[in-house]
Amino acid sequence: MRVTLTHTDDLLHGIGRFDPSRRADRPWWWLPAMVLCFSSLYGAFMGSFEFDSLERFWQILFSAVKVPLLLLVTSAICLPAFVVFNTVLGLRRDLREAIQAVFAGQAGLSVALASLGPITRVWYSSVASYRGAQLFNIAMFAAAALAGHLVMLRYYRPLIRRHGAHRIMLYSWLTMYAFVGVQFGWTLRPFIGSRDMAVTFFREDAFTNAYVFVLHLILGH
Amino acid sequence: MRTWLTQVDDLLRGRKTGPELLTEGRVELPLRLFLPAAVVLGALYGFFMGWYAILTNEHPGGWMQLIASTVKMPALFLLTLAVTLPSLYVFSALIGGRLGFSATLRLLIGAIVVNVTVAASLGPILGFFTVSTTSYPFMIALNVALLAIAGFVGMVFLLRTLRRAVAPLLAYGDPVVEERAQTEDGAGETDHTREIGPLERPTRPLPRRAHWQARAIFSVWFVLYGLVGAQMGWLLRPFVGSPDLEFSWLRQREGSFFLALLRHLSDLLGGG
Repeated sequence: MRVTLTHTDDLLHGIGRFDPSRRADRPWWWLPAMVLCFSSLYGAFMGSFEFDSLERFWQILFSAVKVPLLLLVTSAICLPAFVVFNTVLGLRRDLREAIQAVFAGQAGLSVALASLGPITRVWYSSVASYRGAQLFNIAMFAAAALAGHLVMLRYYRPLIRRHGAHRIMLYSWLTMYAFVGVQFGWTLRPFIGSRDMAVTFFREDAFTNAYVFVLHLILGH
Repeated sequence: MRTWLTQVDDLLRGRKTGPELLTEGRVELPLRLFLPAAVVLGALYGFFMGWYAILTNEHPGGWMQLIASTVKMPALFLLTLAVTLPSLYVFSALIGGRLGFSATLRLLIGAIVVNVTVAASLGPILGFFTVSTTSYPFMIALNVALLAIAGFVGMVFLLRTLRRAVAPLLAYGDPVVEERAQTEDGAGETDHTREIGPLERPTRPLPRRAHWQARAIFSVWFVLYGLVGAQMGWLLRPFVGSPDLEFSWLRQREGSFFLALLRHLSDLLGGG
């Protein structure tokens, strides 16, 4: 436990085994494992809205599974394209470091999320509205995404200095990840769990499209 | 299988089209490796594309659509090439490129392989949206967008490689020598002798004539291949398979590609 926290501290400060300017000498699975642990912690907080019966406990469990699932599977879907684009831009030699930057960004996002978890819980306790809970979570995710971006940028800076094309890859990754992530998040609903609906892993309308939904919302159909 | 992957990987890394390899107006891309590569990688994208029919089509025949899409994707690229190759070669020779017929063919196959590899790497994204979406217009728009991205990379690859083939080597400089010079200045990182990627611009401007030639050949190819390709795609429909129609290998001949694109956009905006 203590070791885990020390490593997390290193990641946040960008020192020790997580020093971006040095070649990484740590097992490759550290960063994904950090994403898994910390984001699932936030998921548990997120699902604890309306926690008043045993049935609602399932929502906590589902959300604790869903948040890491969202982050890691989205990455897995985008990675093949990331590798190929890096290759055609002539950045193949830095691929290891680029992938490390991507996962470091997500680990940063997860740690930030987990640290915001207690605040979410307090919000749930003080404001009962479901809509309020949704908006609050969006704000938390936005804040955590910013933190994750800062960590990712820290790893990307030396790469960009080496070759300007890394900047293109940084923004391509963010675009791709957001594009897939939004739809995946939509498919995995509910994360919070409205009190009017039974606890389920997927909603019945899970397999619809978030972008089409938003477009229709805007156009008023 | 392994050599096959290594060869494709080398092509993507620009090792097959480095400036030093193209000086003689020759292109060293063995067709017996790259032609199957184009077929397999194109089929991979088509495979992801065909999922949509299985998941949404209530008529039996979703599986047939999967097979049809898998076959049609590589067919689209290669048939278009087969139809346009003679004219592409003639125009490039008229403009004054140094590429012979065989080199032209190899270069174009190389560009197609790059194109379909990028498309195949976007396949998981397409597959994911297919599984989680029922909206037909959205899937059409997504396919167009992904193939446009892949096509763009293929085009840039073709343009840059053409420039290398037309221009003398010195415009690109020697990567190893330049890297060393940089390291001595203390600006570069050690142990990083970078490769020249296939999409890299020349370090020095090309001579005017070479620049103009490469651009002219590219423009003619772009227009010819693009127009024929769009219409070939129209001829080979359906690729995705509308949920309302029964499966058929080919649709009735009607309209043209450009009209259809406009109609799909209006469907997407009007609620589909």
